[in-house]
Amino acid sequence: MRKFSLRVNFLIFFALLSAAITTLYPLIYVVTTSARTLEDYNKNAYGIPSFFTLESYRILIDNYSLGTAARNTITVVGISLLTALIFASFAGFALAKYDFPGSKVMNWSFIAVMLLPSQILIIPIYLLLSKFGLIGHLPGLMFVYIGTNIPFGVFFLKSVFSAVPDTILDAARIDGAGFFRSFFKVAVPNAAAGIVTLAVLQFLGMWNELLYAYLILPDQGQRLLTPALASIGGRYTTNQPLVAAALCITAAPTLILLAMSSKYLVRGVSTGIGTS
Amino acid sequence: MTSPAVAKVGSEVGPTFAGGRNSRKKHRTLTQQRQRIGFLAALPAFLVVVSLLFYPIGYAVWISFLKTDGVTSKFIGIKNYIDILAAPLVHQVFLTNLKFLVAIPVVIFLGLFTAVLLYQEIWGWRFFRIIFFLPSVLSTSVIGLMFRSAFTLNGPINSALITFGMEPINFFAKANLAIFVVVLALIWAGFGYSMMILLSGLMTIDTDLFAAAEVDGAGWWKRFRYIIIPSVKQQLAFVSIINTLYTFTSLFGFIFVMTAGGPLYSTTTLDYLVYQKAFSAFDMGEGSALAIMIFGVIALLTIAQSKYLKNDAGR
Repeated sequence: MRKFSLRVNFLIFFALLSAAITTLYPLIYVVTTSARTLEDYNKNAYGIPSFFTLESYRILIDNYSLGTAARNTITVVGISLLTALIFASFAGFALAKYDFPGSKVMNWSFIAVMLLPSQILIIPIYLLLSKFGLIGHLPGLMFVYIGTNIPFGVFFLKSVFSAVPDTILDAARIDGAGFFRSFFKVAVPNAAAGIVTLAVLQFLGMWNELLYAYLILPDQGQRLLTPALASIGGRYTTNQPLVAAALCITAAPTLILLAMSSKYLVRGVSTGIGTS
Repeated sequence: MTSPAVAKVGSEVGPTFAGGRNSRKKHRTLTQQRQRIGFLAALPAFLVVVSLLFYPIGYAVWISFLKTDGVTSKFIGIKNYIDILAAPLVHQVFLTNLKFLVAIPVVIFLGLFTAVLLYQEIWGWRFFRIIFFLPSVLSTSVIGLMFRSAFTLNGPINSALITFGMEPINFFAKANLAIFVVVLALIWAGFGYSMMILLSGLMTIDTDLFAAAEVDGAGWWKRFRYIIIPSVKQQLAFVSIINTLYTFTSLFGFIFVMTAGGPLYSTTTLDYLVYQKAFSAFDMGEGSALAIMIFGVIALLTIAQSKYLKNDAGR
C-alpha cells in the first residue's frame, strides 16, 4: 500500500500539483495585486504588473489606521495569549500531577465548555461588559479571549503534563523543590513542545477571531485587524489593490507562523482526537 | 507509594517507636499540603471559566426569558421561544443552513482522498501537506473577502469569463449562486484540516497489515475498504462531527464579509441571525433564545452522531 509505481506516482503528483496551485494561486494573486496601482490593475487584472508599489499599504496605514489596528491586535493577542497560557498550564499541571478533592469537577467543567459556540456567549458577555464599561476598551476583549481559550488549554496541557514522567518530578521533590520549582524547572522544560503547540494554535484562534473583536471594539481607533479588514473590504470593492493589501497585512503573520512552526501545527491539529 | 503502609506498621509496633507516629503525622500533612497546592494552582483557571463562561451561559438563559434591548427589560416567560418556533424566517434560515451542509461530504471525501495519497508518500507529500493545510491558518474574514473579491461583478472570475466570451455573472445577486460561492470557500478552506486529521489516523496503521493483504492478493480497493477505512473510523467520526458543528455555529465570518446575509435573507445562517436579532434589531431576548435553541440542536446532533459512529465502529 505504501508506495506507488513510478508512472502512477508521476500522474498523481501532477494531479496534486494542480490542486496545490488552486490553493496557492489565489494567495499569490492577492500579494501581487496588493503591490499594483489601481490604474495598472484596471487595465488588466491578470497581467504582469509593470512596476511594484507599496502605495496601497501607505494609504491603509495613513488613512485607514491599519497600523493602529495591527498594534491593537498585537496588544490584545499578546496579553490574552500569555495570561491564558499561564492559567491553563498551572491548572493543567495540577490536574495531571496533583490529586486533590474537586479535581474531577474542575476537569469536567473545563471539558464541558470546550466547544461552546460563540453565539451563545456573545449576548450575555456584551451586556456584562457594557455594564462594567468595558465595551470599546481593549481589556474587555482580552477578558473574552482569556476566558474562551482556557478550557481547551487546560484540556490540552493536562495531557501534555501527564506525559512528563513521575520519576523526575519525584526526584525534584526529594531534592526539596516546591510547586513553582517543580513546575518551572522540571515540568515546563519537559513539556515545552506541547506548550509551544498550544501557543501556536491559540495565537491563530485569537488573531483570526472576528465576532467578538467586531462587537466589543466598535470604534475605529480601537479596532483590531479582522474587523478593519472586513469594513475596508465591504466599502472599497472597486479598489482591489487596497483590499488586497489589507488582506496581506491581516494574513501575513499567520502564514509566517505556519512556515516557522509547521512541525508543531501538524502535531497539534491531531491531538485531542483520541478522546472524541 | 509504600510510605503509608510503613507508617502504619510503625505505629502498630507501639509507643517505643515514637518516631513512627511522628512520621505518620508529617506524612498526612504533606499529602494535605500537596492537595492544597494542586487545588490552588487549578483554582484561578477554574474561577475564570466560571465567571467568564458558566455565569454568562446562565445569564443567557435568563435573558432568553426577557424582552430586552439591553437597556430596558421585561419578563415574558417562554414567549421568545414560541415566537422563534413560529417564525417563517427562522424556518427559512434553518433550511438555508442545511444547504451549507453540502460542503461536508465534499470536504471529507477530498480530505480522505488526499490523506491516503500523502500517506502513500507521493512525491513531495510533505510540501502538499503544508500547502493544503495553509488555508486553515487564515481568518474566515480573510478567506471570505478573498472569495468575495474574486467573485464580485468586476472581479477576476468575471473578467476571466468575459475573456472566454461569456456574460459576467453577478454571483451575489442570486441566492443559490451566493450559497455556491460560500460553499466553495468552505471546501477550499476546510478540506486541509480534515486531511491532516485523517492523515494522523493513517500514520498509526501497522504496515504489516498491508504486507499480509498483499500476500492474500487484496487489490487497492479491498485494502482501502478493509484496512484504511476501519482504521481511521475514529478520525472520520471526529471530522464529521466537528464539520457539522462548524456549519451550524461558525459561518458568521464568511456570511458577514461575503453576503451580509443577502440577497434578502437567502444566505442568512442561524449564527448570523442571532447576531442580526441581537445587534441589528436589538432584540437581545429573542437572540439569546435562538442561540440556546441552536446550541440544543447541535448538542443533540453531536451526541447522536457520536453514538451512531461508535456503534458502527464496534460492529
